[in-house]
Amino acid sequence: MTPRGSASGALGVTIDDVGVRFGVPGPGRVTALAGLTLDVPAGSFTVVIGPNGCGKSTLLRLVAGLLAPDSGSVRVDGVAPVAGDGRVGLAFQQPRLVPWRSTLENVALPLELAGIAAPRRRAAALETLERVGLAGAAQLRPRELSGGMAQRAALARALITDPPVLLLDEPFSALDALTRETFDAELQRLWLERRRTVILVTHSVPEAITLADRVVVMTPRPGRVARIVEVDLPRPRSADVGGDAHAAALGGEVREALAAAHAIELRPWAEQEGAA
Amino acid sequence: MRRLGGALLSLAAFLVVWKTVTVIGGYPVYILPAPEVVAERGVRAVSTGLLWHHTSLTLLEIVLGFAAGAGAALVTGVALGKSVVVERVLSPYIVAAQAVPILALAPLLDIWFGGGFLARVVVCALIVFFPIAIATMVGIRSADPLLDEMLRSLGARSAQRTRLLEIPSALPVIFGGLRVGVTLAVIGAVVAEWASAGSTGLGVLINIANQGLFDTPLMFVALATLAVLGLTFYGLVVLVERRLVVR
Repeated sequence: MTPRGSASGALGVTIDDVGVRFGVPGPGRVTALAGLTLDVPAGSFTVVIGPNGCGKSTLLRLVAGLLAPDSGSVRVDGVAPVAGDGRVGLAFQQPRLVPWRSTLENVALPLELAGIAAPRRRAAALETLERVGLAGAAQLRPRELSGGMAQRAALARALITDPPVLLLDEPFSALDALTRETFDAELQRLWLERRRTVILVTHSVPEAITLADRVVVMTPRPGRVARIVEVDLPRPRSADVGGDAHAAALGGEVREALAAAHAIELRPWAEQEGAA
Repeated sequence: MRRLGGALLSLAAFLVVWKTVTVIGGYPVYILPAPEVVAERGVRAVSTGLLWHHTSLTLLEIVLGFAAGAGAALVTGVALGKSVVVERVLSPYIVAAQAVPILALAPLLDIWFGGGFLARVVVCALIVFFPIAIATMVGIRSADPLLDEMLRSLGARSAQRTRLLEIPSALPVIFGGLRVGVTLAVIGAVVAEWASAGSTGLGVLINIANQGLFDTPLMFVALATLAVLGLTFYGLVVLVERRLVVR
């Protein structure tokens, strides 16, 4: 075992000077990302943090191959990602379970789409449900699941193909603080088991410090990287990592970077006011 | 059981009102026969085989016409729902065909399709087509875009998304169209029989009873049979819907 753990099944992600715009050219056009450059090493746990609307979800959709950049390039292991190429798994902010299917069938969906036979995908789905602590809910329908169970099921669906890159878009944001801490601990355990490349988007500084190797702080729209904070705390970390002095310092650094990023956005206003 | 009781109760009330009107009005039989007169005529029509002779053909027209029309409408509706281009190209024709009264089209179709059984099935299929195609189109488009994106992120192809997401999402709306369509099929069969030169069918029986024989009770028997056919088909659609649509 290397200190990083075995990263054999993980792939690196490179994002080079990427720009994304939405809408038709004109005043209504929104620039979501501009000049975003980020290198995510294989097997690392990267947490992206930033204010609402800074393009974090857009960033994940680029890596998942759901969106092509207007400029610059996105590469997974040197090759542009294509949705469904099997290299990237994405768990959305909402569970997005198919309501007329059982939890088991929902989790098995990626294998079904890949044409894998029913008995094999059933076995794999049961095993994955067990990994996320949801084995008892296999036959339930999504509307019979609690919010937390639905998020677990969505996570299981993203994990079932064991993708080399796992993208998590605020997957626990709808949960209460206590449940969320449990989920963060489980996520860390799952990651330590297999060491896939993880990119997680969040608003929560404590969550970022608990989980990340590196915290990427983004600027407000148009989003780019404001600062990268390396989190060199030993693992496994507990949810009350904030009690540790070094962790607290790192958290402070992230908060400072977030505040500074906001100031960049505000400066033109300040200058205008000064001129007036 | 309670649903059946309710239906029987409402039928009984209907018969009582009908009977009361005939007693108070004292109409001649050729204008409004009493229920028991119609019932007696019905028994006679069944025992002579006359009713089944006409009903069997109309039944076949309805079943085949509905199956053909609904089948074509489902395929077209999916295409309309999935492709804006297809919708732009086809929908003017579909709407125009629907706007032209079937009563006016039936004689033309009768000439085109040989004035027989086939022509009647075509009229049935045509009248069934519109509500089901439109319902399917609307239903296909009601699919949750978030689920669609989820499926795309898993690499689902268009056909897979249709099967796994769009059609199941559309089912409740499609069944709304099927319910309307199946009752229209009954109308279509009768209209087609009126336009055609055939000598068999419930529509033909209505004409014979009304204009040829002045046998108004027999006409009522034919009308009641059509109503029962409509109710039965409607009930079958609802039964299938209950099995297929997960709520």
